[in-house]
Amino acid sequence: MPRWLITFIALALGIALGLVYGWVIDPVQYTDVTPDALRIDYRTDYVLMVAEAYHAEQDPALASRRLAVLGSQPPAVITSEAEDYARQAGYPGDDLTLIQELSVALQTWQPVPGTSLP
Amino acid sequence: MKTKGFAWGWIIALILGFGLGLAYTWVLAPVKYVDAEPMALRDNFKDHFRSAIAAAFASTGDLERARARLSLLGDPDPAQALAAQAQRMLATGDDLETVQQVAMLASALQGGIAANPPFEMPTNSPEPEPTEQTVASETSTSEASQPTIVVDLTSTSTPLPVLTSTPRPTHTPTPTLGAPYQLVGQDTVCDVELAEGLLQIVVINATRRQVPGAEIIITWNNGEEHIFTGLKPELGHGYADFLMTPDVTYSIRMADGGTPASDITAPTCTATGDSTYLGGVQITFQQP
Repeated sequence: MPRWLITFIALALGIALGLVYGWVIDPVQYTDVTPDALRIDYRTDYVLMVAEAYHAEQDPALASRRLAVLGSQPPAVITSEAEDYARQAGYPGDDLTLIQELSVALQTWQPVPGTSLP
Repeated sequence: MKTKGFAWGWIIALILGFGLGLAYTWVLAPVKYVDAEPMALRDNFKDHFRSAIAAAFASTGDLERARARLSLLGDPDPAQALAAQAQRMLATGDDLETVQQVAMLASALQGGIAANPPFEMPTNSPEPEPTEQTVASETSTSEASQPTIVVDLTSTSTPLPVLTSTPRPTHTPTPTLGAPYQLVGQDTVCDVELAEGLLQIVVINATRRQVPGAEIIITWNNGEEHIFTGLKPELGHGYADFLMTPDVTYSIRMADGGTPASDITAPTCTATGDSTYLGGVQITFQQP
């Protein structure tokens, strides 16, 4: 077998071992993630929490500030995505109603210019 | 000699390849974290998460759901984590209502506020394991481990639990409701074990239960301080304290009104051997 071929095989084997080690055995650890990286079901539950609070508070500005934690998308979009997931996942009707209530409120809500989100 | 050199070349190529592989996986294309769990959140985002849980609890009064959600954050002692967060929020001047919600949930977890009556929640999974279907399902399965939840263990037709009923919002008792608080106790406390000048305040409602999250206003000749009960749940859900300065006269009242405690000063106590130290005062407010 030619020497260059054996070297190439060794190199390829090394790369393969490196990939397995870096992706499987010891992948990059994320311990301080931001909420936008949360799994969709956790994001949806967070939206449900905000919806539950909104049901009592009826404060769309406060709900928007809470939802802003989930990322830079508009709060109405975040709520709408959560509503879609909740519907697909078969959330109970009462929870769906709460998310819908928040979704409708945020679609019609106009933020006051100058108010900052976290 | 030629064979030995060849072996070294093989090893170097292997190591070089391994290094290239690592560089690719750790730098160029690391594992993307897109399905994180709340436990992995950065600390300040965990605070946001806890605040949202507390706000939802304040609205629904569903302690079991709040408890299940808090468990996702992986705090060793959720009540303590909430109490500590409430103190941080007070220190940073956060919205008082939000602070109260967090403090009240901390107290509720320790039994300061009665949770909703247990509700019947049909589920078909006997194992309290998280599923990837919904967090609501996860909540329900977590709740299945609580002794107060009625769980149907007979149906095992599908692997994923599906909720068929959810507890409806019932409002959490708020400490501001009811008649104004009355000053019912004002005692000098001489105890060398306590901090000098310690002002201890206990707030009790009409049913003689301690009230968490109650706001107390302490004023003196050139200052004012607002403190809340329930931030030290280990000392009582209606407990709050404050360190008095010697020779300063304080007035203490509930933010909701009622009878104030006036002319409060740290007393001088006598210890063994005729030495003196600064004592404390214990004040009790109660709704009639």
